[in-house]
Amino acid sequence: MTDRKRSILALVLVFVLALAVAASGCAKATTQGGGTATSSGPVKGGTMSYYIGDPAAIDPYNAQETEGVTVVHQLFTSLTAFDPMDATKLVPAAAEKWESNADATVWTFHLNKADTFSDGAPVTAKDFVYAWNRIASLKTLNTATKKVDPSTISYHLSPVKGFDEVQAGKATEMSGLKAVDDLTFEVTLAKPFGDFEYVVTHPALAPVEQKLVEGGVDFNGAKVAFGDMPVGNGPFKMAAPWKHGQYVKVVRNDAYYGTKPYLDGVNFMEFKDPDTAYLEFQSGNLDMAQISLGKIKDAQTKYGTSDDGYTSNPGKQVLLGAENSTYYLVVNNKDKAMSNPNLRKAVSLAINRQAICNTLFEGTRAPADNIVPPGIAGYEPGVWADSKYDVAAAQKALTDAGFPGGKGAPEIALTYNADGGHQKVMELVQADLTKLGLKVKLAPLTDFPTYLKALGAGKFQIGRLGWVADYPIFDNFMNPLFNTTSTDNYSKYSDPKVDAAITDARKITDGAARIKAYQAIDKTVGEALPDIPLMFYKHHHVTSARVHDFVFSAMYLADFSKTWLSPAAK
Amino acid sequence: MVQYILRRFAQFVPVFFGVTLLLFFITTLLPGDPVALRSGEKKLPPAVYAALRHSYGLDKPWYAQYGDYLGSLSPVHYSSKAGLQFTGPDLGDSISSGRPVVDIFKETYPYTVRLALTAIAIEILVGIGVGIVAAVRQYSIWDTLATLGTSILVALPVFWLGLMLQYFFGIILKQWTGGAFYLPISGASGPVFADWVHLILPSVTLASVSTAYAARIMRSQLLEVSGQDYVRTAFAKGLGGSAVLWRHEMKNALIPVVTFIGLDLGVMLSGAILTETVFNWPGVGLTIYQAIGRRDYPVVFGGVTLVLFVVLLVNLLVDISYAFLDPRIRLGGQAEG
Amino acid sequence: MSDDLKAVEVTDGGVIADVRPPPGSKPPTDELRRAAESRGNRTLYGDAWYRLRRNKLALGALAWLILLVLAAVSADLWVPQHFGKPNAIDTALIGTSRLLPPSPTHPLGTDDLGRDMFARVIYGARISLTVGALAVLVAVLIGILLGALSGFYTGWLDALIMRFADVFLAFPYILFAILLLSVLPEESRASIVPVVLTIGVLGWPSIARVFRSSILSVKENDYVDAGRALGASDGRLIIRHILPNAIAPILVYATMSIGGAILTEAALSFLGLGIIPDPVRSPNAVSWGRMIDDGRMYLTSNAGIVLWPGIAILTTVLAFTLLGDGVRDALDVKMRD
Repeated sequence: MTDRKRSILALVLVFVLALAVAASGCAKATTQGGGTATSSGPVKGGTMSYYIGDPAAIDPYNAQETEGVTVVHQLFTSLTAFDPMDATKLVPAAAEKWESNADATVWTFHLNKADTFSDGAPVTAKDFVYAWNRIASLKTLNTATKKVDPSTISYHLSPVKGFDEVQAGKATEMSGLKAVDDLTFEVTLAKPFGDFEYVVTHPALAPVEQKLVEGGVDFNGAKVAFGDMPVGNGPFKMAAPWKHGQYVKVVRNDAYYGTKPYLDGVNFMEFKDPDTAYLEFQSGNLDMAQISLGKIKDAQTKYGTSDDGYTSNPGKQVLLGAENSTYYLVVNNKDKAMSNPNLRKAVSLAINRQAICNTLFEGTRAPADNIVPPGIAGYEPGVWADSKYDVAAAQKALTDAGFPGGKGAPEIALTYNADGGHQKVMELVQADLTKLGLKVKLAPLTDFPTYLKALGAGKFQIGRLGWVADYPIFDNFMNPLFNTTSTDNYSKYSDPKVDAAITDARKITDGAARIKAYQAIDKTVGEALPDIPLMFYKHHHVTSARVHDFVFSAMYLADFSKTWLSPAAK
Repeated sequence: MVQYILRRFAQFVPVFFGVTLLLFFITTLLPGDPVALRSGEKKLPPAVYAALRHSYGLDKPWYAQYGDYLGSLSPVHYSSKAGLQFTGPDLGDSISSGRPVVDIFKETYPYTVRLALTAIAIEILVGIGVGIVAAVRQYSIWDTLATLGTSILVALPVFWLGLMLQYFFGIILKQWTGGAFYLPISGASGPVFADWVHLILPSVTLASVSTAYAARIMRSQLLEVSGQDYVRTAFAKGLGGSAVLWRHEMKNALIPVVTFIGLDLGVMLSGAILTETVFNWPGVGLTIYQAIGRRDYPVVFGGVTLVLFVVLLVNLLVDISYAFLDPRIRLGGQAEG
Repeated sequence: MSDDLKAVEVTDGGVIADVRPPPGSKPPTDELRRAAESRGNRTLYGDAWYRLRRNKLALGALAWLILLVLAAVSADLWVPQHFGKPNAIDTALIGTSRLLPPSPTHPLGTDDLGRDMFARVIYGARISLTVGALAVLVAVLIGILLGALSGFYTGWLDALIMRFADVFLAFPYILFAILLLSVLPEESRASIVPVVLTIGVLGWPSIARVFRSSILSVKENDYVDAGRALGASDGRLIIRHILPNAIAPILVYATMSIGGAILTEAALSFLGLGIIPDPVRSPNAVSWGRMIDDGRMYLTSNAGIVLWPGIAILTTVLAFTLLGDGVRDALDVKMRD
């Protein structure tokens, strides 16, 4: 009797327990409605829920991937900013005006005196000095874990004088930074760099308050680590500490010196996986998401496509604008086979980029005809003349390389990481090259860390990389990828004339002239074809029907300055 | 009884060391570097790289790291300032995100637990139920259906079942589930996983194959037991079918079933990577899997340690319940250990 | 069971639970024995074969498998000509030939790169069957060796080997597979060797335990004592008397394990860890699990890409399971010690 009851009881208990655990949990996050409708046109109010992946950091000193940078961009304002729709236009931000000396080695930024942090403290030059030293220092502590956690994005400051000494551990502060007075910030560079005014647009180079970084931020009577609740001088401020793995909630900063946003706030909802976020978007719980591959056409039919690809409005919600990143085949120029420039040409001309973009990516990529994407200031189409699909020309190049019809050609290996979704791209490339007559083998490496190691060691013939622009300038591609001294030059391309040309171009202070100089460098490198550009990335994002005038720039930065939400609650 | 439990504990210790040492050893063979990974294609300056590696203890030889790891497991910490303190095991910080490993698992483990418990509940109810019905009505249509059904379930790839269920409920049954694929019932969601509706498909998928096994075991056990003498005696004494079933047959038949379900619970609590991948369920399995891909060693070691202890606990509970069900053990008999 | 695809048998400290659902119909053993005796057929395997022949389900399964093997082996003769090459890609035609619905030229439609699905499914059988069989072979070889050592020379060797087995079994299965596959040299991703070795190495503990148990039980039997009394050496005892009887459970286990190995290979391929075929150098290498992973994003528009490989896996594994059931019933293996 007791045994039977016991077993039944046990079963019932387990079942009840299971249900109880399953039913527990936090409430669903809902998108809040907009404010009161007073007129047709921008309406103040409402909170937008926005998809991001898991940021590694929202503390500007370590804002590395797009997630962290997206959040930091709303919380902080850097010295200058560029127009989201036109990269050649640089506008004042935290600095109301700036100038450089004749050879672009000393830059003076005059800060806007109306600019304050969201807690009321004025933004001074000292805050910039402190923030920048923090980025360069090897001893910087992660404010949340208190462990030594130097910034992995310190390369932004590599042009600054004293940077190398700090990075080698010989100094703790960069000698090139000077707070002349509260509102004058002077930066001396180790070498001339005309594009420096663009470098300082990066959200990571924002000012921070030393006392908050070191002492913590007050929240509800307790001290929260600065890295969990950064205080900045941007249009938004943190509503509550960062809930790791779940969300970052920001609200409008009413003390912002610039144009205040219409939105009450933005909830950055963290999703480990973009497909899940898209499902949430379709259920109506998210205002902005990335469209899953395979569903782009459906989304366009259902939500309408934005006219310029970057601005979304109701009925024109799908964003497909080109991004400032290029997917390319990195070629090991030191490899015996691939050092043959005509062979590289043949490979590049044989690849049907349009087919790859249309089939595998449903139009969310565009064939690349240059190593720099269209959003870069000064981009001209077709400059890399061999980065296109022309089978006849490919065959001629192959003959010029000494392998007519592929006869006698060495075997080429395509190396890539198996976990990155590159397999099909490589299969299509292989199919094209095989059709040309070449012998190509696929060499997938298990995962990204393994691949990175092989890449760094030069153990590859043709690999692949995606290069994302940090700022919309030529130099951001030319220098790291093609300068002999660059540590990111995996192709090992080396042309002392190009190195000299880059150094010279950096000296030019006039924006237009500088661009011209870089365009010439671009052409030179393009003729040598050390790497083979394949595709430009494009947005494949969508916003909900209540979002107006949301701008998502080619630099992958969200611009909420004009964004407003339709009043009716969903 | 106590002896039995202690003996089980004693068996666990070498297994724990064996598994963790093996794990450490294998990870030393893994090519790739978690620190270099943080900046991706943009190479870190050598000094920063060295500083980060030092900060995470990666520049120590693997046996020193193993020692550190063992030390970190201790829930008690001694510091010269505060003396002996109970702080709970430390397990270090994730290399990719800098967050304490303990926090990461505090976040993800509940999802795995929720999924596992629901799946086990299904397994118990449906598995045992179907097994009983099939045994009691042997050779009937129910029995045939059950045998065929369980045979098919056992042969299914679990991840494929998950995808097919998503397709079926999300696309084919669009009308009834109220929309397309993007429904909560497809099991996918973000930080808002709380709705129990999200659990349906993943837990059914996870439970499916095990339920089939459980049903098969239950059925064969009952059939086996029904041929025993004491059952015949019970019938001879005049007891009805259901009384015999519940009072006599189930207790004995249940033993291997409970063992199976218990072990299965252990397995599910170790994180069901396949189900989690298909449904984007942010549980422990997915966390560890992604950590391996990023060479995030503290998360991998922390996760495997956690899982080991949980499985130990579950196995122990199974053994104890085994003891309750089998009087031979309870009363001090021998069970092979 | 659940994600980890371990064998049917549940082991707990050496006691193996019997899982024996009878197939469709099963004539009483006594009758068979009488019939066999009247024929003068007295060997274990002769009896077994006779019983197997009577088991319709098992025969059906065997027939299906033979058909599959023949289709896969002979594929070069008839598949490319009528349906298309399994791995060939033509970027010029890809726009119009991809994601086509079923038609007379493409009975199962085409995949997202324009390849015929039917051809891919047929060729996929090669890898699945080969990996399944070889992996089980590896596991059986290692398992028998270690199990025999354990079963014969009990004592510290037994304890050591069993602890070793415990460590392997305590490691979360898929994680262990991921780690092993991540460590094996990269050049071999296109070959089946890493996957075969991984699944084999992960499978030996169960086989070792089964073999050990059956050796332990056989050792006790009278005919062994008799043999020893007649002066037979250890070696002769092992080969002539113990092995043939102890092997029976292994045969059953192995047959069923092939199904499990196929499922594991599919799971690993689904996670992206399995064989990564090079379409040009291995024009016929296709993995069912990979097909399911590749087709995942087209689930909403073209479920066929996911459906057919899954059904292929299902029917193949089911066939092995039914066959295994049949073999077990035929050998009348009780497997309880």
